[in-house]
Amino acid sequence: MPKKVSNQKPKLTWVRFLRLLDKYGITALRYLLMTIGIFAASFPYLYMILQSLSPWREVNRRIVPSALTLRSYEWLLGGSSTTLARPWLRGFGNSLLVTGLSTTLMLLVAMLAGYALSRLRFRGRNVIYQVILFQMFYPAIILLVPTFLIVRHLGLYNSYAGMIIPKAVNLWAIFMYVSFFKSISPAMLEAARIDGASELQVLLRIAIPLSRAITAVIGLFLFMERWVELIWDLIVVQEYSMMTLNVMIATMSGPYASYPGPLYAASVILTVPIIIVFLIFSRYFTEGFKFVLK
Amino acid sequence: MSNYNKREEATGWLFVIPYLAFTLIFFVVPFVWGVMLIFYKWNLISPVREFVGFGNLLEALQDRRVWAAAVVPFKIMSMFLPTVLVLSIGIAVLINSFKRMQGLLAVAFFLPYLASGVATALVVKGIVSYTSPVNSAISKVIGYVPDWLGNSFLAVLVISLMIAWRFSGYYALIFLSALQSIPNELYEAAQIDGAGRITSFLRITLPQLYPALYSVMILAVGMMFGIFTEPYMLTGGGPNLATHTWYLEIYYQAFSTMRAGYASSIALYNALAVFAFIGVVRKIMQSWGRALGWED
Repeated sequence: MPKKVSNQKPKLTWVRFLRLLDKYGITALRYLLMTIGIFAASFPYLYMILQSLSPWREVNRRIVPSALTLRSYEWLLGGSSTTLARPWLRGFGNSLLVTGLSTTLMLLVAMLAGYALSRLRFRGRNVIYQVILFQMFYPAIILLVPTFLIVRHLGLYNSYAGMIIPKAVNLWAIFMYVSFFKSISPAMLEAARIDGASELQVLLRIAIPLSRAITAVIGLFLFMERWVELIWDLIVVQEYSMMTLNVMIATMSGPYASYPGPLYAASVILTVPIIIVFLIFSRYFTEGFKFVLK
Repeated sequence: MSNYNKREEATGWLFVIPYLAFTLIFFVVPFVWGVMLIFYKWNLISPVREFVGFGNLLEALQDRRVWAAAVVPFKIMSMFLPTVLVLSIGIAVLINSFKRMQGLLAVAFFLPYLASGVATALVVKGIVSYTSPVNSAISKVIGYVPDWLGNSFLAVLVISLMIAWRFSGYYALIFLSALQSIPNELYEAAQIDGAGRITSFLRITLPQLYPALYSVMILAVGMMFGIFTEPYMLTGGGPNLATHTWYLEIYYQAFSTMRAGYASSIALYNALAVFAFIGVVRKIMQSWGRALGWED
């Protein structure tokens, strides 16, 4: 009997090894893949930050610089005597102004229209909704040249308004609010109406507070898309004093890009606000995102 | 019309006025103007517009640049689609295998989608630059530094991978919410029938992901026809038009050579190409869906 046990012993450990591998090996693999994945997802951000802090002779030559310096940021913000100096800080302000106003307008228009199209009964409502669906599928590129002509005709060429007003309405946002307001219980709205609230009050006090999570996600998407808009801002504004930071970096990094360090610093400055906005709203992310994806 | 409340109706119209005003100025007018422009030769400045009929549309058909732009989406797609589908489904399965912190992990993979294409392009440019550490490592192995952006194949590859990096976390979220809606009983039943991990992934998970795959395919394919930032920043459409996208060509014709009518004609072809190809993809996906037993 004891012989038999000792015979089985190596077999048992082999099985146990397989079990352990099955139990922990897969787990280890999962953690490994997750680490690699997160590293790959954030690598360009890391690279950007490291290069922006790197001594100029090492930019794009070493991934991790041998010493850290703020020279790129000083050059960028202090301005320099070279012909490549640009009002970078102002560009950042321009981006904030244009994106902030544009996103706010897109949200306001979408909330109003979304509420009316889902909760108010008026003649022409269905026609308007059909038009919105048509517009969503109509390729925006065909409108690019004529929209530019209209903006120029209205005297908005080379102005802040030229960047903001043509981007003041977002059809996807309207569509999202229509389906969201449709999903909230009519009883709550009705109760407020019976208490004598006007439609505007119902919208402001009940519908909008209920929409917090999806407003956060819609706002995040709108902000982000507007912040990195390239083609329209490139066309409509020629003056450095009004350019967004994104356009400034894009026009600087052509064949004349002999200052990669400062350009990385500018990219870091361009990226920080998106990340901040994203982190602020990320607690609404899971809830709101599920709705947006539907 | 007594079933309309007068006050409600007035409020309704009031609330949609901002949208309507915008639509009139920035949709209806450009819509009409855009169609008109197609038939004219005009440099955006001159007071004289010359009517050319179908001239612009016919010229575009013989333009080497337009044909290059028509082919580029398919070249990018051939590298982008397999990469992004494997990555995004992989990420979704991986996130789903973790019990805790799924939200946080999803957020981490969503970060690339937030990046400005301009900033990412700078990073990619740095990484593929002649003196970069990556290239010096490669040249030690193969003996030379590959001309990433000067070689037609590699330039398309670099742009495809950049776009895949940007979108895989976003698409992974779509797949993740589909994964989480798969009923657990299916896996339990499969386990009882003796199916292993791989079998149940192939036989249960993938078919159940079909609706998510459908929407990702439509999104991804549509996007292929509207690429601008990456080639604008990295290659300018080169080498030899290998990465010359539709939007680059439209931008170039409208705002560099100032041919408004010609650019509008190309935009029309672009729209037709998107619609036609999305139609094809729809048909393929639907017949595949029917084979899997999804009704639509």
